[in-house]
Amino acid sequence: MSRILVVDDEPQILRALEMSLRGAGYDVDTASTGAQALTAAAVQPPDAVILDLVLPDTRGTDVCRELRTWSTVPVIVLSVVGDESEKVAALDAGADDYVTKPFGVDELLARLRAALRRVEGESEPVREVGELRVDIAGREVTLGGCPVQLTPHEFTLLSLLVRNEGKLLTHKAILEEVWGHAYADESHYLHVYVSQLRRKLEPDPARPRYILTEPGVGYRIVNPARRTS
Amino acid sequence: MNVRSGRSYGELATGLLASAGAVVFVTAAITELKPYVPVLSLGVLYVFAVLLIAVLWGIGLASLVSVASMLAFNWFFLPPTHTFQLRDGANWLALAVYLVTAIVVSALAARSRRRAELAELREREAAALAEEVLEAEALRRSDAIKTAVLHAVSHDLRSPLTAIVAAASGLANSELRLADADRAELVTTIRSEADRLDRIVGNLLDLSRLESGVAAPHPALWPVEELVGRAVEELGVEGERVVADLNADAPPVRVDAVQIERVLVNLLDNALKFSPPGSAVQVRVDEQDGRLLLHVVDQGPGVAAGERDAVFEAFRRGGGAAAGGAGLGLAIARGFSEVNGARVWVEDDPWGGHFVLALPAAERTPVST
Repeated sequence: MSRILVVDDEPQILRALEMSLRGAGYDVDTASTGAQALTAAAVQPPDAVILDLVLPDTRGTDVCRELRTWSTVPVIVLSVVGDESEKVAALDAGADDYVTKPFGVDELLARLRAALRRVEGESEPVREVGELRVDIAGREVTLGGCPVQLTPHEFTLLSLLVRNEGKLLTHKAILEEVWGHAYADESHYLHVYVSQLRRKLEPDPARPRYILTEPGVGYRIVNPARRTS
Repeated sequence: MNVRSGRSYGELATGLLASAGAVVFVTAAITELKPYVPVLSLGVLYVFAVLLIAVLWGIGLASLVSVASMLAFNWFFLPPTHTFQLRDGANWLALAVYLVTAIVVSALAARSRRRAELAELREREAAALAEEVLEAEALRRSDAIKTAVLHAVSHDLRSPLTAIVAAASGLANSELRLADADRAELVTTIRSEADRLDRIVGNLLDLSRLESGVAAPHPALWPVEELVGRAVEELGVEGERVVADLNADAPPVRVDAVQIERVLVNLLDNALKFSPPGSAVQVRVDEQDGRLLLHVVDQGPGVAAGERDAVFEAFRRGGGAAAGGAGLGLAIARGFSEVNGARVWVEDDPWGGHFVLALPAAERTPVST
């Protein structure tokens, strides 16, 4: 049974999440400050953390950064509409995903399952996302059994996305990983390559089902069959 | 910068008229004085005409006046008179000296005039600039306040909304296996958070009423336990933590019940919010100098000495507070207290938060009014 640490300073939100998560079969720990969260995570390491970005003693982004110095536990941050820069900061500080308040429990559970799944399949050399199959070691891609030809950069981008299936990757994180530090701010590169990839992979590139855009934040690849939101 | 660009044709015409007048006047004066003073030395009087015009209209007209003066002097006074010819060569020199003097003087006068104009213009510009800076500053500050207000309000509205949506979607999700107690608690969360949302909306309305000065109280005699009872009732589930220890002999108070209820709800809400979950919030009364003092005491961290007045400002939140809030409640408590002739303050208390509401007590022997 997975253990989830929920961090929020609003007791009512904390209680509602605690009960829903417990109902979904998780063990739940709670914390209402950043300091409590770090202590709880150290005393009894959770399998995933749900972290509010606004805490009374510190910013959620700082908690995330601190946590990342010694833990790879998936972190889902809770944020509010319109705070794109804080979302990006949290993701760049190591958060895996975010959910915007107010959110339904279904959406949160779906994100949580995706985050936990990612941890399980971390070291597999061949990744499958829906009909898409990426052999990372052999550098081969097939879609519904048919081979797809990709340029080296397209392949690196795609394998980065599938290795993080379901996870939201910021523009900066992708650019640094695929093109290197010097290109961290060249998001137009990324938009061009993503649209090329979509043309090769998506049945309807204008309505992508695999590679989804999170406006102003980044991209994520999802399994169309598993999409819940 | 052309400081004379604003001058009109009308002004130029006036200048020309004045110039002609000045020359005519000096010519007439010289004619009058001619019998007593040698005419050649009287020519210097034209300088006054030049000077006047130079100061009032600038060097252009002044030069014209110089030349006109010279011609008039020559025509009327220098022999042969009524011609522009000169018999005596020395008169040429005198005339030339007058002309140069007139032009130099008018140039100097014009320059000082222009300086004065420039100085005045600069002063006006500086004043206008200072005004603009002030306006921009005021605008920037009111924008900053608006942003802070919107931020605080949206945070306050969204927190209960998030709890409601999370609890409701949890209840609606058929895959979740919820114990009956958990199910009941989720329902309670939805109800109490909906109440909280309603209180926040009410507070926003109250605040706008107080700010716009339309919160005229309708005072009447009320027993204090009724006021406290209504406030506790309004707090719903959380209100169960309030322990009221009221003196049955306490005199009634003369206040607007609805407004004082708002004060009490906000004081109690604040105490509940800042005290440990499940801990009691005490309400007790005593009398002092014709006032009824209502104490609201919690077991929270209390208010730091330096913050005791600031907590009553709108959009102010206690430092390090676990429970958020835009800080509307205490501002409204103070606002409604004041319009009712009551007062509210923070008491120095080492044990926790301690707010006092002083209400105007009625006479012990009821007087019919």
